[in-house]
Amino acid sequence: MSQFNEKVMSLSDAVSQFVKEGDELIIGNYTLCACAELVFEVVRQQKKHLTVYSQSGIFDVEVMVAAGIVDRLVTTYTMRSGGKSGGSAVERALQARTLQLEDYTNYNYNARLIAGMHGFNFMQVFEGVMATDLYRIRGFMGDDKYRVIDCPYTGDKILTVPALNPDVCIIHVPRADKFGNAQYWGAMGSVMAAALASKRIIVSCEEIVEHDVIQASPHHTIIPAFRTDAVVEVPWGSHPTEVVGYYNMDRLAYGMFQGAAATEDGLKTWLDEWVYGCPDRGAYMDKYVATFGSETLENLRAKDYYSTPVNYGSAFTSPWKHDGTERGMGVTLEELETIMEERGLFHDC
Amino acid sequence: MTVKYTLNELLIIVAAREIHNDENIILGVGLPTVSGALAKSLHAPNANLMMESGIFDFEPLVRPNHIADAMSCRGFSCSTDLFTAFTTTYRGFVDVCFLGVAQVDKFGNLNTTVIGDYFNPDLRLPGSGGAADFISYSKRTVLTMRGGNFVNKLDYFTSPGYLEGGSARDDSGLFPKGSGPSMLISQKGIFRFHPETKEIYLSEIHPGIAVDDVKKDVPWDLMIDDNLKITEPPSAKEVAFIRKFAPTESAGNALAIELATANIMKKMAARQQS
Repeated sequence: MSQFNEKVMSLSDAVSQFVKEGDELIIGNYTLCACAELVFEVVRQQKKHLTVYSQSGIFDVEVMVAAGIVDRLVTTYTMRSGGKSGGSAVERALQARTLQLEDYTNYNYNARLIAGMHGFNFMQVFEGVMATDLYRIRGFMGDDKYRVIDCPYTGDKILTVPALNPDVCIIHVPRADKFGNAQYWGAMGSVMAAALASKRIIVSCEEIVEHDVIQASPHHTIIPAFRTDAVVEVPWGSHPTEVVGYYNMDRLAYGMFQGAAATEDGLKTWLDEWVYGCPDRGAYMDKYVATFGSETLENLRAKDYYSTPVNYGSAFTSPWKHDGTERGMGVTLEELETIMEERGLFHDC
Repeated sequence: MTVKYTLNELLIIVAAREIHNDENIILGVGLPTVSGALAKSLHAPNANLMMESGIFDFEPLVRPNHIADAMSCRGFSCSTDLFTAFTTTYRGFVDVCFLGVAQVDKFGNLNTTVIGDYFNPDLRLPGSGGAADFISYSKRTVLTMRGGNFVNKLDYFTSPGYLEGGSARDDSGLFPKGSGPSMLISQKGIFRFHPETKEIYLSEIHPGIAVDDVKKDVPWDLMIDDNLKITEPPSAKEVAFIRKFAPTESAGNALAIELATANIMKKMAARQQS
């Protein structure tokens, strides 16, 4: 991917072009700022037989598992609605034996991505897990879930997890530019590692901003343009979860989803209504406003609380002073060239 | 004057008392974040509240929705990533972490993954999340239990307490010496672990709860402290803080949902009329 290719496209084009059936697909986001509309589009296009990775497998995972497009799931945390009498799509799929699961701790999962993003083969993880069933009970990864090696320096036993390089990462961010520089702030989680470990990256964002905005705040960029394959502007793209500085979590809509997820029929009805029934995020938001009123939505909008800008300034931005002399050598360009000629520095040809 | 309180409020308040000034605290989802806010506001203003999502030194203004809720506060001191939050714990910088309990055994080992068979679950619970690594490497771990169970054998061993008891945890070589769960707080009492055997025992009982009422939840003959104390009841200030900061915690889940649902219905009916 070239850095200055414009990668702005429609969401359906991005998903149809860069998500393939049978892919290892990773959810870039962690708990908040869920890539809700990207997940919905993957479901609408029925990209089946996915191996899905999610640091915290809650809203995103429930929707995809309920839609029947996930064969395997690697996560650290799953959702369950409605207490003991409730349930979840993950639980139902496990009981029906249509889903294979691998459980890690938050750190173990993130360590696999850190190894992947840096090009390492594996990552050292904390040995405490060896006392637990996380280590003893293996799912589809078998022996490769964890392996123990001898430290070449101390001789200690070291627990490791294998690097992970998913085929594609889908991720929602607050803002990006048209080239694919993607910025993120708030709770960093494992968001950057999930994206950079992946082979392809699809970015949706609340707004596409001018390249200048990115250049003036580079410390917020978590994905550099040359790694990004597609950029899609999707306002409210995380709803019902939240985006820092844009809108809060919608507890009403999220609660409605959780209530639905407790039963198979409930979640099927919810999918029909809010995912299959809405061709895109615009239609989804129109439906939301028609159902709950625009006031409900407006109440979620974030009030501004800006970070203090950092100063990227410097003493000068040119080696040449206003009087035309070079700062160190004290001569003008013309004078310098004359001296260079006199000293015979130019190549004779 | 005695102040009226719920057992859930008491549990939050007792947990908050475990947060001391100048400590580094990892807060888990739900109840611990309310305890953290309470401690910071009333008795531990310099406590460093941290969450595994990479939010360090935050002061919640509203009850966080989850452990990555950067919108529950107005900024915070350090924004790092999850990987660093855990390596910070591994290196011994975390004084205390708070974990919820689904199943706990005699030696403080925990299950938050599954009820029934792992591959064919009766109930699939959330899983480890950060729990297994935090209880491994925090200096202290405070367990909070609402609706969980004491069991002889865990259905799945998610997070390490004192393993088989005695010196097993220290002997394993997998954990810092002296680490492990320091106490468990339930809605009935406060439990601690015997210094030698590491068996859990009832250390304090909440006001108005009978010992037999605690014992009936435990499938073995629960040890009771010879000097069993009564939990210090909440102060008016502590209760007032929770009611103001997290009224839904005071109401409890069932009542909060019932009232919220009624409120939505009322609003929607009004919308249809207009």
